[in-house]
Amino acid sequence: MLSVKGLRANVGDKEILRGLDLEVGPGEVHAIMGPNGSGKSTFAHVLSGREGYEVTSGSATFEGKDLLVLEPEERAQLGLFLAFQYPVELSGVNNTYFLKAALNSIRKARGEEELDAVSFLRLIKDKLKILHLDDSLLKRAVNAGFSGGEKKRNEIFQMALLEPKLAILDETDSGLDIDALRVVADGVNALRSPERSMIVVTHYQRLLDYIQPDYVHVLAKGQIIRSGGKELALELEEKGYGWIEAEGRAA
Amino acid sequence: MTAGLPTGFEGWVAEAARASGGRGLEWLDAQRRSALEQASAQGLPTNKDEQWRYTSLKGLQEQAFALSAEPLTALQPDDIEEALVAGLDSHRVVLVNGRFSPELSPLEDLPEGVRIAGLAQLLESDPDVLRGELNGVAGDELPLFAALNTAGLDDGVVVIVDDRRIVERPIELIHLSVGLDEPRVAQPRNLVILNAGAQATLIERYLSLGDSLYCTNCVTEVSLGRDALLAHERIQDESPNAFHITGFYLRQDTASSYRGINIGLGARWARTDLCVSFSGEHAECDLQGLYLAGDGQLMDYHLDVDHSLPNCRSQENFKGILYGKGRAVFDGLVFVAEDAQKTDAAMSNRNLMLSESAEVDTKPQLEINADDVKCSHGTTVGRIEPEMLFYLRSRGISAPIARRMLCLGFAGEIIDKLGAEPLRDYVTEQVGRRLESAPLS
Repeated sequence: MLSVKGLRANVGDKEILRGLDLEVGPGEVHAIMGPNGSGKSTFAHVLSGREGYEVTSGSATFEGKDLLVLEPEERAQLGLFLAFQYPVELSGVNNTYFLKAALNSIRKARGEEELDAVSFLRLIKDKLKILHLDDSLLKRAVNAGFSGGEKKRNEIFQMALLEPKLAILDETDSGLDIDALRVVADGVNALRSPERSMIVVTHYQRLLDYIQPDYVHVLAKGQIIRSGGKELALELEEKGYGWIEAEGRAA
Repeated sequence: MTAGLPTGFEGWVAEAARASGGRGLEWLDAQRRSALEQASAQGLPTNKDEQWRYTSLKGLQEQAFALSAEPLTALQPDDIEEALVAGLDSHRVVLVNGRFSPELSPLEDLPEGVRIAGLAQLLESDPDVLRGELNGVAGDELPLFAALNTAGLDDGVVVIVDDRRIVERPIELIHLSVGLDEPRVAQPRNLVILNAGAQATLIERYLSLGDSLYCTNCVTEVSLGRDALLAHERIQDESPNAFHITGFYLRQDTASSYRGINIGLGARWARTDLCVSFSGEHAECDLQGLYLAGDGQLMDYHLDVDHSLPNCRSQENFKGILYGKGRAVFDGLVFVAEDAQKTDAAMSNRNLMLSESAEVDTKPQLEINADDVKCSHGTTVGRIEPEMLFYLRSRGISAPIARRMLCLGFAGEIIDKLGAEPLRDYVTEQVGRRLESAPLS
């Protein structure tokens, strides 16, 4: 589904990604862990098409299509979704209006019919039920004045609505207390399916207590230096990143 | 009689004297003569004049407009269908080229204690009602365009609401311009009086059938009695080739409340002067504004809020969206007199620039002579945040639609304050339509 080969990317003059390889198959959940500054968020941003990054070599294909030449909206329309570490506040833009515009843009790009107001509201209600959310977020402006937990819940809600094929969760656990974390993780788990892949980017192991990954990758200095099963996360928790980085240097 | 007027403006009043010659009202003639003298004495302002520093009158002067003095009676109700806002339930008053049109103004079901009439009509039938009221708020010292309006004063709309009357439905003044063979200027004069405790909503819309070249030079005077409450929504959506000038004069008595929303969308050149004064304490004035300026458009706003008495509150909040080679001017002055203690005033002007070549000159000013006041002012000129744009695009929304959503979000703060939903929808659509075709460079 997603195939990343030898990806190198700069921010300004600084090289952040230094030859990153990753293969994600349908339905798989991959965790990418790593210390601060290892390039985790850069990787998520480069995949989603954010400005300010220069890809110098390597490739990233999604279902055989070259992702890197596409606009951010085209990537989303193909089924890519980024849950932001810091969801952006859009004052004045109503959340329901925003969700409808997003869903209909994606449906239209896929050659599906746009949803009318009634079908849309019905769909929204269903999704809220699945995620055990109430509708209080819908009437407000997108993320404006939302608490940290509300913002992250809104991200997961968008994901539920847009039904991506590949969701990238960028440090979704940051800034959440344990209750909020559980709500968000439950939401993510409810959206797991054999057709939907996920990349969970995180610094800490604790999110992975709730979202069990199929694979864990350790990112350091812009490269994946170790891959394994979920037990790798536990090992990291125990020994810290220093252990693996030291090992990486020795090898 | 027009000798001495700035070149190009002779025609603005030339026919007025002839058209209204028969009124036989000495006080009115004296007012007109005095205004004409003032207009002649002032000459044409230049950019050395602080009030006209950023705005050139050259384009307007070159047109040599003539006054459209004769009423245009050929329009049928069907003809103005396109000028109406779908679903807006109002007491509708229509002026065509500055002249009140009784045929198009269905005013049969006015509630008791509310009087709405054409100004010319009232000058004929009941002139005493107007004596002392015309120019009662604007005063005797008039700037050029208000003086020209007064010198040519003859028609417009008069609204008078008696003590403690509450007008439920909005009163809607539609100032319609219809293209004529030669460029015309219309100089409607509106007078709105809410007596003590009265409440009303007034919607003023300026628009045209077609995209002809003309000029509107309107003056609206509003007088609010003690405890009166007026919601006033002005939507300037003139033809893209038109010139528009507003002189708005508001006087508020004790504990009255004024909530004004000024939306500027149309005209190639628009100048709006909003002047507020207080004749009693504890009055509240809220001036909100939204303007769009695109290629070849100028939107020029001057606010003059005079806190001469203590304990009054005013808020001025104007937002602009500029694109293409659009230009805007915001020049706001809040003046607080020495004994106007406990004045509470906040002025803000925020601008969203969608292109490199758009320009805004913004100058909010406070002049405070009292020592126990709460006053603030602020101004911003910014662009669409790339973060916001990326967030929307990452959800599958194309860049142009995302930009429009963000602009409408910016504008929504003002649009959402309009009282009637059909009007909010209408303005949102008008704004959206302009942004859709807005060049971004």
